[in-house]
Amino acid sequence: MSAVIPYHRVNVLTGIKSARLIEDAQEYAGLIQKAKRPLLVLGPLLLKHSLGDKLVLEYALEIAKAANIPTCATAQVRAKMGELGVTPDSFYDVVEIINALKDPNWQGVKKEGNHDLVIFFGIRSDLGEQGLSVLKHFAPHLKTMTLCKYYFPNANYSLPNFRKDEQWKAFLESLIDNLKKGA
Amino acid sequence: MAQVKEITRKLEEIREKIKAEIAWEPVGPTPMPEIPDLRNWDMRLLKTYAPFYAPFCDLCCFCTYGKCDLTETRRGGCGIDIATQQARWVLLTCLMGCSAHSAHAGHILEFLIDKHGPDKKIDLGGSISIEAPHIRTVVGLKPETLGDLSKAIEYVYKEITHLLDSTNMGQEGSYLDYESKALHAGMLDHVGMEVADIAQIVGFNYPTSVADTPLIDLGWAAVDKSKPVILFVGHNPATSTVVIDYLRENNLYDQVEVCGVCCTALETSRYSDRAKVVGPFSRQLFFIRSGIADVIMTDEQCVRTDMPIEASKAGSALIATLDKAMYGLEDASEMDTAEIVRQMVEDKKHFAILDSRKAAEVAAKVAIEIAPQRRKEWLTEAEAKELATKCNVCGMCEQVCPNLFNIGAGIAEVAKGNFDLIREQFNLCIGCGKCEAECPRKIPIFKIMQTAASMEKWKVRAGRGPIMDTEIRTVGAPITLGTIPGVVALVGCTNYPDIRDIAEMVDEFARRKYIVVVSGCTSMVAGMWKDADGKTVYEKYPPAFDMGGVVNVGSCVANSHITGAAIKIANIFAALPLRANYEVMADYVLNRVGAVGVAWGVYSQKAAAIGTGCNRLGIPVILGPHSSKYRRLYLSRKEEDDWRVMDARKREIVDTGEPSPEHLAYVCETKEKAMVMIPKLCIRKNDTPQGRAIKLNHYISLHKKYMGGGLPEDIHLFVRRDPDIPLVYKKEVREYLQKIGWKPREPVGLPTLIGTYPSKVPVDAVIH
Ligand code: SF4
Ligand code: SF4
Ligand code: SF4
Repeated sequence: MSAVIPYHRVNVLTGIKSARLIEDAQEYAGLIQKAKRPLLVLGPLLLKHSLGDKLVLEYALEIAKAANIPTCATAQVRAKMGELGVTPDSFYDVVEIINALKDPNWQGVKKEGNHDLVIFFGIRSDLGEQGLSVLKHFAPHLKTMTLCKYYFPNANYSLPNFRKDEQWKAFLESLIDNLKKGA
Repeated sequence: MAQVKEITRKLEEIREKIKAEIAWEPVGPTPMPEIPDLRNWDMRLLKTYAPFYAPFCDLCCFCTYGKCDLTETRRGGCGIDIATQQARWVLLTCLMGCSAHSAHAGHILEFLIDKHGPDKKIDLGGSISIEAPHIRTVVGLKPETLGDLSKAIEYVYKEITHLLDSTNMGQEGSYLDYESKALHAGMLDHVGMEVADIAQIVGFNYPTSVADTPLIDLGWAAVDKSKPVILFVGHNPATSTVVIDYLRENNLYDQVEVCGVCCTALETSRYSDRAKVVGPFSRQLFFIRSGIADVIMTDEQCVRTDMPIEASKAGSALIATLDKAMYGLEDASEMDTAEIVRQMVEDKKHFAILDSRKAAEVAAKVAIEIAPQRRKEWLTEAEAKELATKCNVCGMCEQVCPNLFNIGAGIAEVAKGNFDLIREQFNLCIGCGKCEAECPRKIPIFKIMQTAASMEKWKVRAGRGPIMDTEIRTVGAPITLGTIPGVVALVGCTNYPDIRDIAEMVDEFARRKYIVVVSGCTSMVAGMWKDADGKTVYEKYPPAFDMGGVVNVGSCVANSHITGAAIKIANIFAALPLRANYEVMADYVLNRVGAVGVAWGVYSQKAAAIGTGCNRLGIPVILGPHSSKYRRLYLSRKEEDDWRVMDARKREIVDTGEPSPEHLAYVCETKEKAMVMIPKLCIRKNDTPQGRAIKLNHYISLHKKYMGGGLPEDIHLFVRRDPDIPLVYKKEVREYLQKIGWKPREPVGLPTLIGTYPSKVPVDAVIH
């Protein structure tokens, strides 16, 4: 497979270990459902962008609900979640949650053991890519996945660079459907 | 035996250098510390604030064994692993920064010793007697003359060499030891900066021992482009001051406009309040491309490396004045002045001129000759609209933008005659120029952005140098008791997510009666906002180092005065001896001085060194999202980490369970989060109940404001007993504490880390 260049060129990979690019929502849903203790980390870009008439945060919350994934609200995400009547399962800022995840003995946000799949959604791509790098190098005990509309080389599983928001929207909707079906 | 002799000889040498016989204070345990001397302190810090590495790259390519793949458990050909390679990189970064400041210090010192002689007395005015807290603390020397400063800088140079040595292939194999070395480099950086700024204040007669320094005109609209314009870019005032002298001596100062970009602008305005400050680094390329500058004079650090190309494009003449950046230009230092002027005017040639008198004369003459022929018109909206029509919204510009926004969308709107988006985007633009270079349609994005640039004039207060001893005496008690909720230092460069964040942060914390200190490019940016009454933060808040004050210490090298103020609190207010007593000073600052650095937009290696120097001294630093690219943070895990301290009064180790300060180097993604972390990182174990209640009041109220109501989920960790709970939130907090089963605990009388790790320093040393 030829190298995939991330949309934002500052994130271009200088290395050899890069994310598996997945475009199929069913495959993504399968990976999420296979995980025993997934975690969904929600970033502030979810409040900034909308797809159609829905905030991207709303898609994220639907995903969490459909697959019963605990959430971690970073930055000011909790404020908007509060407005939507949802309480996050945990509050850590992005570097703090990553720091905790690095520790294989950490008990996770549910105190049931560290997470085995961490899904990042809505973190600015440069910071997100750096955070994923931390886990790629120092957390061999877990896998990472992204839901943003760009390719993240440092993740284990990433979406492609979607050229159009509609493609991304369609993916997220299909993912939600697949998760609901699976549940 | 031989080793003992060697140690004695070395100590004798040091004692001679620091004039140990002059007993202004007893010489502490670590005069001129070398790599191992403060290592135990570092290791103690790193135990709680463990390095957190975000590799930028999977590989190492430092030597010809490489490239080496360092993923998973692999080690390089030399045996290094990925964490240690990151730490090595961090050390290199800190060394670059430390070298930049220290070489600046060394250069300016030589220049000023040439001018005034080595015996020129250091006199910082009647209100500053502890003139050099870093040099006194680290080196153990009380510098009395410019010549004494040379001893401090020579010590720094020597240490840099040893540190740099350790980064060569095949040496240090522990990331913790590399971090200790990086902390050493950071500490040295503050010594280097202090040398530079003291020398400048003394040698150039900058304002000192005064808070109310002049308000300087800020913004490119402040520059009178009807006159010949000389622009200084960089950091080192050796050139700009000489140009101003030349203009004054030749009665030309009224005819020529003098302005600067980046820290050299701040330096110049400390020398002459008529010099204009164009703006920070992120506005450098915009201003140069505007063509307003007739002559550009570069010195060192934070100068664009493509300056000759950009100057030629804009039709400006360029003089490189320092050996750090000569751009491959012909060195005309020995050439006849008239001939240089002729070639610059007629042949449009650029030169390096390392003799500042000559450079000054050439700059003035060339500016006066070429200015009348040059067109300096701003693009009109109609012209911008026309240029923008070529955009086919291909998105190439967005892909290369390091601030990750879609300037192409703004350009497309301009093509429709709508300038709203691009005006908004101008606040996000860090001025790198990559978008324009990438645009396949060759759209002059920067020119178009001129129409979005504000034509507003603002004010920045001229840098005032060190905090006065008198101010330290006034604020020492309330800071350490916590009744002044904190000192917030907004520092560094302009790689911000949004330039407007800075003034907002300054305003928020000055209004809440924190002491707000600013420096460098951030001090300019703080001034680039006006309230409803048309006032900048410098006009809105007093310039005192006191609650609710906004203090501009000056340029990059003036950052040493911010950390210096923390040392002075320990020394002047708490009466702890500082001489060669780094551990005691740092321990005091970490446990008792509620100060936090906010380096929201830093990009340079210098900033990494400054921040790491703050960390060794016990000052936490909050960084913006771009700074994750520095590769390393120092983070604690509040629930798991070791928060034990020695209670120096009771002589017993107490497990406080209180994560204060929680982190030493921390990145957050948004301004909102930073607004909540700032008050939290000002909490110290030493706070009195009254002080703690004030600090928690701000922590809770900012949390409610930016995080959408509710209490911070870790509030229980910071409430020791009921009186710590702020009155306004008593009921809510009590209910929460009850719900989670919180138990009260005794505040620690005199918290210190001394006594919790192996150190030569006795616990007695922290009792004042
Ligand atoms: S320094 Fe070490 S890791 Fe780096 S290229 Fe050389 S052998 Fe490989
Ligand atoms: S690269 Fe040029 S043509 Fe493409 S979107 Fe940007 S400005 Fe428009
Ligand atoms: S100049 Fe501004 S808009 Fe262009 S790439 Fe750089 S930051 Fe982005």
